Amino acid sequence: MGKKEKVSVRICVGTACFVQGGADLLLYQDFLDPVVLAGCDIHGISCISGCKDDTMAVRPPYIEIDGKVFGEMTQDKLCKLLREAVHA
Amino acid sequence: MLELNNQYTTIKRQVHTEVLKQFFQDTLVQNVDKIPIQLIPKQRIPTRCCIYKERAMVRYRIMAFLGFDIEREDDEMKSLSSYVQEIMEEDKPLSPLLTTISTACSSCPPDRYMISDACRGCFARPCLSNCPKDCITFSGGKAHIDESRCIRCGKCMEVCPFHAVVHIPVPCEQACPVDAVKKNEAGYVEIDWDRCISCGKCAISCPFGAIVERSTIMTVAKKLKNRDHMTAIIAPAIEGQFPGTLAQIKHALLATGFTSVIEVSEGAHETCLHEAEELASRKREGTGFMTTSCCSAYMTLVGKHLPFLENRRSSALSPMAYTAMLAKERNKDTSVIFIGPCLAKKDEAASLGTIDGVLTFSELASLFVAKDIDVREMDATDLEDVSRFEDCREFALSGGAAACVNKRAAIGDEISFFPVNGIDRKMARVMKTWEKRPVDADLVEVMCCEGGCINGPGVVVKPSVALRLRGGNRASSPVEAMRAILKPKE
Repeated sequence: MGKKEKVSVRICVGTACFVQGGADLLLYQDFLDPVVLAGCDIHGISCISGCKDDTMAVRPPYIEIDGKVFGEMTQDKLCKLLREAVHA
Repeated sequence: MLELNNQYTTIKRQVHTEVLKQFFQDTLVQNVDKIPIQLIPKQRIPTRCCIYKERAMVRYRIMAFLGFDIEREDDEMKSLSSYVQEIMEEDKPLSPLLTTISTACSSCPPDRYMISDACRGCFARPCLSNCPKDCITFSGGKAHIDESRCIRCGKCMEVCPFHAVVHIPVPCEQACPVDAVKKNEAGYVEIDWDRCISCGKCAISCPFGAIVERSTIMTVAKKLKNRDHMTAIIAPAIEGQFPGTLAQIKHALLATGFTSVIEVSEGAHETCLHEAEELASRKREGTGFMTTSCCSAYMTLVGKHLPFLENRRSSALSPMAYTAMLAKERNKDTSVIFIGPCLAKKDEAASLGTIDGVLTFSELASLFVAKDIDVREMDATDLEDVSRFEDCREFALSGGAAACVNKRAAIGDEISFFPVNGIDRKMARVMKTWEKRPVDADLVEVMCCEGGCINGPGVVVKPSVALRLRGGNRASSPVEAMRAILKPKE
């Protein structure tokens, strides 16, 4: 069995995301399960302009998981999403 | 205290951002009455009783943000647009800094202890034997508290092996260190201004958002629009509040429309020099402990509740006051705007007269978002030579102010120091005893907020995040900075 690729996680660190709850996501080392954490490759990403896109149904803060954008992210939601992604 | 990020803070940030956005687009007068409906649309599932009440609350939040004192100036017949017109014509004073929304107040019942269903009526019954007032009785195999005799000491809660005793507090009253938050005859929250020290703890503790700060941001916003000469003086706690380094934050402020930016750490250096000198002479004369004077809430606490500390506190002005002088020296016509994590600074600013406006980091965050300014995309401005006062950036943390004073005090012997890391009800009581039993230390550093200013009522991020983003270039890549190991404090 080949080694599984790490899940790519990009946290938007644009000011709008950061000040609307995004800063809490930066504590990922504290709230993510260590196994999930080890299966993820977490980095910051410049403003992905989700907040300026009127067609976007969800509000900041945004996060990109394997290229897919999710909004209104909270620590709890991120835990769930990444658990699913890592154990998929 | 409430978690920093919750539904209330999210809505508040949305309200503030929207008002500022419309203001800078010159459409606020036409559109302000639509904002409550936009933010609380018909299809929303309400968390208060109904969407109409939620809209009414947004209306009040807009009023407070514009600078109105809801308690005194609420006229339900008046549209928000006429309030906006009023504010365009005349600036509102800096105080009072808090105002209450009585219809948001849930009239929480008095604080009490209750025995929940988890009680198993055990054989040992530690609650019974540890209650100092004999107010626990057993019936139906469960413990009960006799409300009329309970003195709310909490002993039963401590000793119950099943965690069956719950404490139901009144959050605003519990948060207030000086008993200034009370209920009026109708059962709604009321602030006793003769006691209030402006710490802002009640405002960030109420889960219903019934105590709100009266903003003075419109004074600043109007000046920004007119392109007046304005100097932003930024509190040391600003580092770590935004996704960017101090140099980038400075650039972001210039991009927002401020003409120049001065770090309050520069004024803190002056405060330290004065305090160090005073400390040295007190030590020579052997007159006992001296307290710092940088925390505005503490200064008011002394004035209103602990008058015997008047001659104990340093006579040095606050870092904000010295920095304002610097700003006026550099340009006498400039308007000085203090930007910090603190509400009490508004009271201090009102008494100083050299400050033209006070913003919190939280208000600055809304300003950045409304003006579409991304701190992280900013080039770093040259901070020039900061070596003289660089260490004073530590004024934002508990222990930091004392360390800076200590460094500047040219005394041979060791200085002993006692930190007051946050003033809660208990600490306020302890401080009262100092009249009879002075603290056995040379320097008492007082910070009203636990952890220091980075935990003030106007911050954007939690101290745990801010701490890891402070220093050097860390905040230029916030996500990666979180993995860096924190340096142990020297």
